[in-house]
Amino acid sequence: MKTRQKLISVSRAAELIEAGKYLSIAGDEAALRQLPQGHWIGGTIPYFMAAGGGTISRDDVFVSEISGFSEPPQLRFYDAGSLPQICRNAPDNGYSILIIPAFSPCHASFAQNAPNFEEMYMKPLIGWIAGVHLDDLGKVTPKVVLGSTGEFSEADAVVMDVPLPPEKFAQIDIVNLFHQGSDAGIRFPDNGFSAGDCLIDGQPANLTDYLQERQIDTRLPLVADYSGAMINVSIKSIDRAARRVEFYAPVFPALEYRFAAPVADYVSAFQAALPSSGQDISFSCNCILNFLNSQLEGKRTGEVTGPMTFGEIGYQLLNQTLVYLTVTE
Amino acid sequence: MKLEELLHHTLAIHAPWRIVRVRNDLGKSQIDIWVARDTQRSGWLFGPRNTPSPGQEQIWRHINIGNARCIVHAVIPSEVEDADLQWLGEAGQPFTRAFARQIAGMFMQGVSFASVCALLDLPVADLWKFKHRLDTGKSGLSGQGSAADANSAVVPAPNDPIWEELLSGSLQLDIRILSLKLLLTKLREQFSVIGDSEVRNLKAHELQRYFTRHEKMLSHELAQLARN
Repeated sequence: MKTRQKLISVSRAAELIEAGKYLSIAGDEAALRQLPQGHWIGGTIPYFMAAGGGTISRDDVFVSEISGFSEPPQLRFYDAGSLPQICRNAPDNGYSILIIPAFSPCHASFAQNAPNFEEMYMKPLIGWIAGVHLDDLGKVTPKVVLGSTGEFSEADAVVMDVPLPPEKFAQIDIVNLFHQGSDAGIRFPDNGFSAGDCLIDGQPANLTDYLQERQIDTRLPLVADYSGAMINVSIKSIDRAARRVEFYAPVFPALEYRFAAPVADYVSAFQAALPSSGQDISFSCNCILNFLNSQLEGKRTGEVTGPMTFGEIGYQLLNQTLVYLTVTE
Repeated sequence: MKLEELLHHTLAIHAPWRIVRVRNDLGKSQIDIWVARDTQRSGWLFGPRNTPSPGQEQIWRHINIGNARCIVHAVIPSEVEDADLQWLGEAGQPFTRAFARQIAGMFMQGVSFASVCALLDLPVADLWKFKHRLDTGKSGLSGQGSAADANSAVVPAPNDPIWEELLSGSLQLDIRILSLKLLLTKLREQFSVIGDSEVRNLKAHELQRYFTRHEKMLSHELAQLARN
């Protein structure tokens, strides 16, 4: 696979903006604030999978150039109230890139409600959750940027709608190295970012107790099977006193989850899992948990690059998953 | 946005046309509006009355204003002027173009005749009149839906039982496309708890619409449907 994304200096990104290019940009807040106004959207994150390998940089920015559109892409903010209209407003043929600040009302609302947004799954929606350097957690907030006005937001989501000509179509796919392990099936009574009581193999149980009893490695996500797509929910923290487990994405009551089977070597498994279609990747991103848990700094994951984010969007919110977009004729 | 602008926007009435008169006392839960060409800038409703267009006034049912019926009164303008005016209808027909498209959209989504009447507060006779014109080709719905939603020769029709088999899980597919995996999971979850046949039919239409929109990238899945 080839990609048209790269990690570049702020000055080079500014040149692209001033040349009128349509760009999606990821970078540390200080770097993004140096960029001029123009046709771009952005989100804060200093972790990247660059061509040379996993990189942490507060100086450079990761730029995805948007091309091949039939009409100029539309850029705008959505607040939590208008976000459910995002797919309805998207072009009939094209795709949308969505960036949401982590821990914002939009983040929570999207995570829990996106599957029921009008026109969801009918139009390609890809994106990521903006974050911060882990040293800055609790000190600064993740933000998104509407480049056309230069406005930063820690509450609203930013979107670029990209219309394509009729002969082209966009397709989103994922690479998820995790699959359901052979342990018990787990069902939750409610939709939410945390859970305690649940059914394990059909019997009432508590997830915290189960994790402790089975000595489960909590770097492994819960995995649900969506008609063949393995969708992860990653463990954020365990509150032993309250006997509850916090997640990075919500669990849903209709699905059966199992903890993932371990992945011995992320880098080699990732390279083996990448499709070799020869198509250009227009946009991609991967998860910061994969970056951290698999110690990817300095290591290359094939030709696929992109920001390493606080959550990935492939229609709905995903965890510990590579998401990528291709445009085909 | 001013209230006047909001109403014009909601009812798809744009310059040089404007609402020149409104009455809410001609029927229960009914708002009648008169639309005319704007010949001079004037206050809305309470300003100087616009000169009515010459010709016979026609009446059409337009898209509802909240729960109230909206009735448009206007003189049909010349052919050049009336191109694509959504608040106008054909002479002698009950509905404006916008309302006709709304009704047709509901039919295409599988909503039953009786439900359309109930949901839109429509007299059965008016709907029959409209449907008969559609069925006999006397009225069209040009512009209805997007090209991507057009019928396909490859995708089974919305009422084909194969969609309910897919939704119930009695038919399984090897699926390569992420959006279909996610959509089918959601629809199966919903389908499993829906008892009403009309709502189940709606879900079948939703799935069929997805296949029609994405036919170009579903050759692997459509080949499996063709074998069943």
